Amino acid sequence: MKALEVKNITKRFPGILANDHINLSINKSEIYSIVGENGAGKSTLMKIIYGLYTQTSGEIYVFGEKVKINNSNDAIKLKIGMVHQEFMLIPRFSVTENIVLGQEPKRGIFFDRKTAVKEIKEISDRYGLKVDPLEKVENLPVGIQQRVEILKVLRRGAEILIFDEPTAVLTPEEAEDLFKTLSFLRDSGKTIIFISHKLKEVMAISDRIAVLRRGKLQGVVYKEKTNKQELARMMVGRDVVLEIPAALVKRGDTITSVRNLTVKNNRGIVGLKDVSFDVHSGEILGIAGVEGNGQAELIDALIGFTKPVSGSISLSGEKVKSINPHNMRERGMAYIPEDRKRRGLILPFRIKDNMIMGQHNKKPFSRNGILNDMEIDSFAEKKIEEFDVRPRDIYAKAANLSGGTQQKVLLARELSIWHNFILAAQPTRGLDIGAMEFVYKMLIEEKKRGIAVLLVSLELSEIMGLADRILVLYEGEIIGEKKPGETSEEDLGLMMLGLKKKEKVV
Amino acid sequence: MDNTSLLNSSLTQTMDYAAPILFAALGGVMSENAGVFNIALEGIMRFAAFFGVWGAYISGTPWIGLLWGIGIGIVIGSLHAYITVKWAGDQIVSGVAINVMSMGIITYLLELIFKTTGYSPPVPYFGSSVNRIHIVFIENIPFLGAFSNLTILVWFAIILTVLMHFMLYRTVFGLRIRSVGENPYAAETLGINVVRIKWFAVIMGSIFAAFGGMALSLGTLSSFTNAMANGKGFIGLAAMIFGKWTPFGAMAASLLFASAQVIQLLLQVAASGFAKLIPLGFYLALPYILTIGALIGVVGRAVPPAADGEPYKKE
Repeated sequence: MKALEVKNITKRFPGILANDHINLSINKSEIYSIVGENGAGKSTLMKIIYGLYTQTSGEIYVFGEKVKINNSNDAIKLKIGMVHQEFMLIPRFSVTENIVLGQEPKRGIFFDRKTAVKEIKEISDRYGLKVDPLEKVENLPVGIQQRVEILKVLRRGAEILIFDEPTAVLTPEEAEDLFKTLSFLRDSGKTIIFISHKLKEVMAISDRIAVLRRGKLQGVVYKEKTNKQELARMMVGRDVVLEIPAALVKRGDTITSVRNLTVKNNRGIVGLKDVSFDVHSGEILGIAGVEGNGQAELIDALIGFTKPVSGSISLSGEKVKSINPHNMRERGMAYIPEDRKRRGLILPFRIKDNMIMGQHNKKPFSRNGILNDMEIDSFAEKKIEEFDVRPRDIYAKAANLSGGTQQKVLLARELSIWHNFILAAQPTRGLDIGAMEFVYKMLIEEKKRGIAVLLVSLELSEIMGLADRILVLYEGEIIGEKKPGETSEEDLGLMMLGLKKKEKVV
Repeated sequence: MDNTSLLNSSLTQTMDYAAPILFAALGGVMSENAGVFNIALEGIMRFAAFFGVWGAYISGTPWIGLLWGIGIGIVIGSLHAYITVKWAGDQIVSGVAINVMSMGIITYLLELIFKTTGYSPPVPYFGSSVNRIHIVFIENIPFLGAFSNLTILVWFAIILTVLMHFMLYRTVFGLRIRSVGENPYAAETLGINVVRIKWFAVIMGSIFAAFGGMALSLGTLSSFTNAMANGKGFIGLAAMIFGKWTPFGAMAASLLFASAQVIQLLLQVAASGFAKLIPLGFYLALPYILTIGALIGVVGRAVPPAADGEPYKKE
């Protein structure tokens, strides 16, 4: 049986054809993935199905019937539910309140909390989605918050569930849990539409995969009959280098060295214990580990946000006496933060403003406290050309750019400041494969120039491909050092989980 | 006067002072729980204080004055909602505009209607001993006796606090109001009519503030004075914050601020020896100093509704 069919869906925005005659036919009880780069039209199509946009032309059929979906209420009535990428939750409300809001059980005018809690327990048991109905959402980890979103959709009787890039905010473990949930939901008769640009995930869970590029459907394939390489080619329209090319560079002098570093996190707990390592010129040192094993503490200490409890950090071969971001940067550190929206860019500012942040008080960008707009503009124009930032508009607000473009603006800024060391914290988080490829290229270029790079990442394949040496962090300690050629993802995985004993340490 | 009656009358006086502050604070609680700042409370109180007196003056009864006051509360509330909800305008700017407007318009109307500049002539009011609600059998009981001689407005303020608590935290409607103040976009995706709820909350809040204005001109006094509302609307706003945007919190804060006022009066009378050397200004400033102190002590911990003050624009 067909759960959802769209026929010749076209959506035209001023100047852009976001969806161009798209035809999809999705079966009941299947996990149907829709992949494509940012801006390929995935979200637009989903918003049309969920009633947030109206199509310019084309038809939608739900369970065989032709329908008109004018708003999200219509969609809910047709048993279509959406788990948004940015959760639609109220942090200060309880799990129960969040789930029932809008369709609350009542006694007269009063909110019937008891019945509501009972109801939540029931559906949470039925779908194996464990939650504490009385806990406030603000106290829950992101993975559980997403569970609340799913329960909200299920309680409203959804048969077709749309997941808009659901793993973007999850840790790898949480993502695993989500995949189990999705399979369970499929097996109990629900239809899942999974939007993503992460090929690994799509290959792991889909039954069928539709690929969009620039608003057009490129094809629909069965998972068994395709592979990542083919999908990537369909998405990008050319061969993509998924394998990162090895760049052999002679390792040079020590640029950065960390000695016996111990750091407390903001909860006052020691998150990093007695860690020592060196990063050399022309070398990428990878830090692997499951999230929450000391990476955040290491990064915060290196950039100078947190004062270490003990230990020292040397940059450019010299011990840093007073650890704060200004001093770290003055001594040659460039920083690519994992959360570019909070730490990397000032979103309401324009591209040109973001490009000079940190150098804004230096010549030629300002003199005696007055900004020199001409210099700033010509610098920004040069950089957006060099880093292929699209749109080529230095006045565009950072908030309106895609994740990949934001990352390019950030890289353009960080790499144009004098540096000999790059602290890259999950530099490809949330990026599509085109942008990912760009970041890899930049890092390899920098390495060839003799820059020392510290790459902290949760993606093992990324570390295996880029790093010259890999350190594994587990519970705040370095429990091993490996060379990519001498180890495998499985081996590293075991170390990351603490299942292999401490090995040779630098 | 014996001690019991001094205690009781001081407490009654405290409640008389607290009522206008509490009404304003409840108005703020109502509006801000739906995510709309209302710093126009002061101006709305001034409008209602005047219109209440005007209505009572023409009709000869404070009840008609009360209706006039409610009426002007609805008008000003609608204006604030029209600017901030309908057009998603800046809530602070709208509030300031209403406050400034109240200064000019009311001063003009005072001259136009009563041909005076400072005061309106006295009118029948709820605070007169005839109109107060006497409960004779509790008169001589310490503490409880304070409730033997209240105005209808004070009683209404107490009842309104309780009603609002139940409305906000026990009813479906209250849950929805708070959801709009916390995350209107989430509320909208769940089929809640955000715009309608905001309109309702702003106008209701404005009506409560109007009661506060009338608690001044028809409750504690029997006429309008041109200095009204004398900052009571802003103190109400402080009480709302101090009370963490909850009705009972607002009530506790209003009583605290009002008791400072009464203690100040008592101290002035009772001051002897060294205390006599302290200038009068210090006693007058005492309630405000206490207000600032209380706010400094609490402000780090008081968390407003998450989307408070953010204009809501549909996609």
